[in-house]
Amino acid sequence: MSKDQVNSGLKSFGKRFKINHSSILIISALILILFIAFTVRILPMRWEIPTGQIHLNEFDPFYQYSITNYMVKNGLFSPYTNHWINYQQWYPAGLDMSQSLPALPMTAAALYQVVSFFGIHVDLMAFCSILAVALGTLSCLILYFIGKDMGGRAVGLFAALFLALAPSFLQRSSLGFFDTEIPGMLGLLFFILLFLRSMDPKRSLRGSLIYSVGAALALAYFIAGWGAAYYILDLTALFAFVLVVLKRYDQRLLINYSVTMGLGLLIAIQVPYIGLSYLTSAPLIPVAAAFIVLLVAELLRHNVSAKTKLLISVATVTTILASFISLWYFGYLGSIAGKFSSVIDPFIRAASPLIASVAEHRISAWGNLYIELGISILFFLTGLYFVLKNPTNRNIFLLIFGATGLYFGASMVRLLVIFAPAFALLTAMGIIGMLKPFMTLLKETPNVATKAKRKLVRVSKEYSSLGILLIFILLMTQFAFSPQTGGIPRAYASAYAPTSLSSAGLPVLPNEPLPQWLNMLNFANNDLKSTDVVVAWWDYGYWLSVMGNVTTLADNATVNATQIENIGFVYMGTEEQALKMLSTYNNQGNIKYILIFTVLYVVPSQTVSGYYESIPASLGDDGKFVWMADISGSAKDRLVNDGFMTSNSTWTNRYSFGDNTGNGWTWNEQGINTTIYKLLAATEQAFTAKTGGIVIPSSDEVTLEYFKPVYISGIDITSLGEGTLVPLVGLYEIDWNAYNADHPKR
Amino acid sequence: MFPKVPDQHKNGKPLVPNGLGVLYVLFTTVYLFLLYFLGEGPSVSAGISAPLTLAVCILFGGFMGLLDDWMDLKWRYKAFMPLIAALPLIYFAIGMNARTSITLPFIGFVDFGVWYFYLIIPLIVMIVTNTVNMLGGFNGLESLCPAIALLGLMSISSLTSSSYLLMIGPIIFWLILTALNLQGKIFVGNSGSFAIGMTIASFAIIADVKLSLLISIIPYIFNSSLILLTVFFTHKKALIVFKNDKLESDHKRSLVTAITYHRPLTERQIVTIVSIIVAAFTLLAIIYSFISFLI
Repeated sequence: MSKDQVNSGLKSFGKRFKINHSSILIISALILILFIAFTVRILPMRWEIPTGQIHLNEFDPFYQYSITNYMVKNGLFSPYTNHWINYQQWYPAGLDMSQSLPALPMTAAALYQVVSFFGIHVDLMAFCSILAVALGTLSCLILYFIGKDMGGRAVGLFAALFLALAPSFLQRSSLGFFDTEIPGMLGLLFFILLFLRSMDPKRSLRGSLIYSVGAALALAYFIAGWGAAYYILDLTALFAFVLVVLKRYDQRLLINYSVTMGLGLLIAIQVPYIGLSYLTSAPLIPVAAAFIVLLVAELLRHNVSAKTKLLISVATVTTILASFISLWYFGYLGSIAGKFSSVIDPFIRAASPLIASVAEHRISAWGNLYIELGISILFFLTGLYFVLKNPTNRNIFLLIFGATGLYFGASMVRLLVIFAPAFALLTAMGIIGMLKPFMTLLKETPNVATKAKRKLVRVSKEYSSLGILLIFILLMTQFAFSPQTGGIPRAYASAYAPTSLSSAGLPVLPNEPLPQWLNMLNFANNDLKSTDVVVAWWDYGYWLSVMGNVTTLADNATVNATQIENIGFVYMGTEEQALKMLSTYNNQGNIKYILIFTVLYVVPSQTVSGYYESIPASLGDDGKFVWMADISGSAKDRLVNDGFMTSNSTWTNRYSFGDNTGNGWTWNEQGINTTIYKLLAATEQAFTAKTGGIVIPSSDEVTLEYFKPVYISGIDITSLGEGTLVPLVGLYEIDWNAYNADHPKR
Repeated sequence: MFPKVPDQHKNGKPLVPNGLGVLYVLFTTVYLFLLYFLGEGPSVSAGISAPLTLAVCILFGGFMGLLDDWMDLKWRYKAFMPLIAALPLIYFAIGMNARTSITLPFIGFVDFGVWYFYLIIPLIVMIVTNTVNMLGGFNGLESLCPAIALLGLMSISSLTSSSYLLMIGPIIFWLILTALNLQGKIFVGNSGSFAIGMTIASFAIIADVKLSLLISIIPYIFNSSLILLTVFFTHKKALIVFKNDKLESDHKRSLVTAITYHRPLTERQIVTIVSIIVAAFTLLAIIYSFISFLI
């Protein structure tokens, strides 16, 4: 090949991929945003490296990890084809793992196998941890394209940046947060991007159909990935209905809706866990109703008389209502899980302590909303204004997305993550809408006539630049110097925290990882058998079964409310009551240990010089006992009837055991006889004794009748400061011999 | 650089640069950021930064004013927009466990409880910002009167905390603008009056000088009440006639028209009288606070 040929070849290549300056700027900005999104999410790595392993965060990701692990070892479909029941969870019945959404573990397992195929061998847990970060970053990229379609590249860039730094999404896509939100957000954003593109009237029918099929695949992935998929199904149905009401119906809408929903649901119901019953669940009714409305709209589009139109409309409404009532009356409508129905009516949660005890299911306090939205709410509102002013199909979708997202985000803390992309898009629209006139003025100098009293003669370029500067500084106080986080960036405050395991379950920023929980799990892994049952409050179930390789009675799956009530009873009852309850689970002699987690706040004594005092910090079971009391108390009647609660020592809630006084919680007579009090006190006193008595315990001395300490992690603290948090994880062996001697079987 | 508007109360209506309040916003932001970085005054406490909270509120006020200067916002937007700026203040007050009570003369101790955060703070921000914006239109009026009220609040806050440090730089800058405004060389514009109104409201909440604020802004509240009631009941606006270098009105639909009712006064005289009224109420607030402090 001659030199000229090479030159001409390169020239033609350059012509084909001609990139102008603005494209270079946009691409550079986008890469920077994605880089920021990735690096901010990976900040917790700082605490993982010293532990020698990258851990998952919180609790649910361990469940996803265990399925992924099973898939990697046994095949992608193995949990479903093998009907895998994990007997290390929810002893003795076990946990049916085939009742799990497959999208996340399957994605992770498939990608892990691809990576392994290329000879890169990574620890699976580390891979899953980092995958959450990568997919979170990918979501920001998708939002860029959605924003670009809605309001141009600038809107896309701003929206991507805002999503990258949105606290709710940041926390749920940072290192180790390997949970359902990850495929959920990915599916949600892909669906919105492709469905709205399919609706573009400028697109050919063929192109439109291709995008509809893409949207259907994204929808199926979303349904297979996150229970909140009901949201997008009903949002799309509402969108279609609103378009009909606003007389924006066209044939393309019917085709796209039918293809997307039909194909998406058809694929989704092939997933074993989802199945055909999904189609008869209550949230699917609006999807079907919207489809009928579209059919009627298509019918009415043709020249029919007003009388016929009226007749068809009335018949449609009557049919939809009659179908709904009939299905509901004859019980064909499946109910939806409590936490989902309680999103629509958050007051349901007030009646269920089991749902209310989960922090992420609580109603968003206004502070949550403010931390999420910040002063950008100004731009969000202006974004709403601009969108309302220009009601295109995309903007109508965005409006409904924003309004419903805000409602659900306000209803449940966890769902702020669904609102995050809508907020990012609307805020970006608001900012660009406000910047546009200033930018126009910067380019030219028009006369601006406004006020009658003091009529403006002209606005200079410099004055416009002041407007832009003010918007810039406002955004800076939102993202770079947030007053609510003491001046550090909000994103940094949200993401710069160790994983729960590396911080021993404490909401702190230690210099080094806190090893208390990791040591306990190592101990369980090395010194206990996998069939040994460790009784623990359900929060720690996944850690113990997945990391500690022991068997547990309950975990975050919360599949058996009765079992959780019984565990609450075990802790809140006396030692005798606790063992009476546990003996019902001990047919095979596997119930061997009970675990307690307490956090003490150690401060210099105010009364005895040179000594310290320990105070319960309410960050472990010393704070969670209130839920144990409330949840077990809600089952009072059953527990009395079954002979576990005696009529002279019943309870319905925490206040049977003490009350809040000026100095925190004060236990009463019934309280100090509970198993939990005794275990907390014994653990605290084991610690204070280890310090040589220099720390004065807050609890009275207790004698354990049927529990023997095996290992207390965190007891060997070396130095005490002005105020030190001391996490302690205590493992106690159940002395069945002593109990059986006191209670011989008749 | 700044848009020029005619000075309506001068012969020949000379053009005067308007909207210089935005410079106050920028200066104050830089000043408060410096305070934050240097850790001076009430910087970061309970994880919340007082200087940055104040900066956000003032920035918001300034931005709102800039929009008003530029596109003449409707009153229904102007009335409620400051509520957004109440959010950082509510967060601040809850985070700092702020006092939710007030001791009123003749009435006594009133504890608002959580209503202080969710009702009283937004009301303070909304009322102060809008009433300060409504008392203007004369050279020096929209800058001198807020300066007097703010100086009063600063001196009262110095009795109990170091919050006054937050305002030392901004008040000096504002006084410079006031001097130029009094000479008719500049107008601070809505960006200035909204920003200074937001400053007063935010500072009063951060420094916890609610009662003093209430006393100091009585002339403002009187003025706004008069304007709004007249508009509401008679659908008539306050008008003032400029003739022979003097201003006069034939009705009492605002504080200024009440002062000039069949009494021709120069612009300077009007500004002086209104300023004296504001100063009198501010002094009353200082004396009351001082006595309360001593007791």
